[in-house]
Amino acid sequence: MSAPVAAQPAAPAERREILKVKGLSAGYGPMRVIHDLDLSVYSGERVGIVGLNGHGKSTLFYAIAGLTGWQRGSILLNGVEVGRTRSQGPGRYTHLVVRQGLALIPQGDEIFHGLTVEEHLDSGAFTPRAWKERKERKEKILKIFPPLVKLLKTPVGRLSGGERRMVSIGRGLMADASLFLVDEPSLGLAPKIGKGVMEALFDVELGQSAMIIAEQNVALLEGRVDRVIGMHVGKLKGEASASLSFQTRREL
Amino acid sequence: MDVGFILTNAIVLACIYGTLAIGLSITWSSVGLINLGYGFIFALSGYGAWLASQYISTNGVVVLTAGVLTGALGGLLVCALAFIPIHDKPNFTVRGLIATLAISLIGTQALLYVFGPRSKNLPDIFGFWKINLAGIVLTSDKIGNVVVSIVVVTAVLLWMRSSRRGLEIRAMMMNPHAASIVGIGVRKTGFYVMAITGGLAGLAAVLLSQTYYISPFGGLAPMIKGVSIALCGGLGSVRGAVIAAIILGLNEALTARLLGGQYVLITQFILIILILLVRPRGIAGILDRAREA
Repeated sequence: MSAPVAAQPAAPAERREILKVKGLSAGYGPMRVIHDLDLSVYSGERVGIVGLNGHGKSTLFYAIAGLTGWQRGSILLNGVEVGRTRSQGPGRYTHLVVRQGLALIPQGDEIFHGLTVEEHLDSGAFTPRAWKERKERKEKILKIFPPLVKLLKTPVGRLSGGERRMVSIGRGLMADASLFLVDEPSLGLAPKIGKGVMEALFDVELGQSAMIIAEQNVALLEGRVDRVIGMHVGKLKGEASASLSFQTRREL
Repeated sequence: MDVGFILTNAIVLACIYGTLAIGLSITWSSVGLINLGYGFIFALSGYGAWLASQYISTNGVVVLTAGVLTGALGGLLVCALAFIPIHDKPNFTVRGLIATLAISLIGTQALLYVFGPRSKNLPDIFGFWKINLAGIVLTSDKIGNVVVSIVVVTAVLLWMRSSRRGLEIRAMMMNPHAASIVGIGVRKTGFYVMAITGGLAGLAAVLLSQTYYISPFGGLAPMIKGVSIALCGGLGSVRGAVIAAIILGLNEALTARLLGGQYVLITQFILIILILLVRPRGIAGILDRAREA
């Protein structure tokens, strides 16, 4: 019995299940975007989700955060059930999910355009523990995104697209989270800047937490994430460890 | 002499209406509710202060605190009835408008039922003295009104600028969707906002009661003026509201002096229409520093 366990060095004993989604369906009004989806993510893992526009990547993230129009199915975050069956009230319980250890870095720029960069980073640390440590956390973020140092007192509404994305991602990383959901970090950025943002995400030390990155461009993820999962019309299709992604069972 | 009188009147009115307008403006921009129940909160806190002066003490501090606390309670009541049940349902803006209007109507009738139609007056909370400043006579209530309203509004704004709750409220004012993503509970913050703005209404009620009597329907005209000042300043902007309050307070004092008190609302709304014709987003359109997203 002990031999097969020893043969899997990639799976040490403390590999925790951070996120376990089972039978999740979600959508907006009469539209059903996600169909009976199952997904598990373990601690220390970086997962890429790849799919075309309108196939439910963002909706999956929103459903985990409780921001879709309606949803049903089970979502366990750190072993705590956060997926309620809802028919209305998007966002009513989001702050409770966030307190459970979720950091959502949404697509595009969900920013507070009148707040300064510093206030923005503070606003990412609203969970009680992160708020106490926010000075050290801010320094860590500024090390990841050095261009922000000079902009700390500038209102975010005046920044360029790339700088805004840095602020938005920095805000997400400020949180005391065990699961980071990053939605299309390179969207709308010049290729070089987009690549820099992706590099920063890959360099974040995860420790016991996990990260899911949604992308349209597989090339940006290749070789840098632990797993790549395809998403097609609201379902997850095929899975591969990233190094093998050319020879895998991609059912797209 | 005459100019000084008009100016001091204008400043006093601007302070009181500005307080109301800032409250309405914060409510609108953070919880997305046009609070037509504000007039009711105003009248309610007037009665709260009156009860305190009757049964507890006629001390100015006690009366003022009672008014502010009653206002905050009224704000919580409006929040529990008109914000919590419907804030995430479709068409919230219109439904909230109707719900707060209903609260206002029911509430003022209830006040009429409980306290009767006879208007009440509060004790002079700032004492009874005057100073002569370069030919302009300043009475105690004028100085007290201006000082108290400026101090309290500044304190509220500083608190919103520096504290964690204030950061939550400002974040919610700018982008409620993103606010919930960073873990701000919309409902809890709604209660904070409504309690604070209700307290501001209570403050304005006690201050205005130094000039006018308290009556069940006494909140209506101040609320209309507060709404129009908030609109004129650009809904959601505190600085715009302050500037609009000064302009409209000056207009009110000038009109009352030159044409007569019955023309005040006419010139008020002509001025508001003119301002909104030139700057459709209100005065704050000039001051908006941030680039549009």
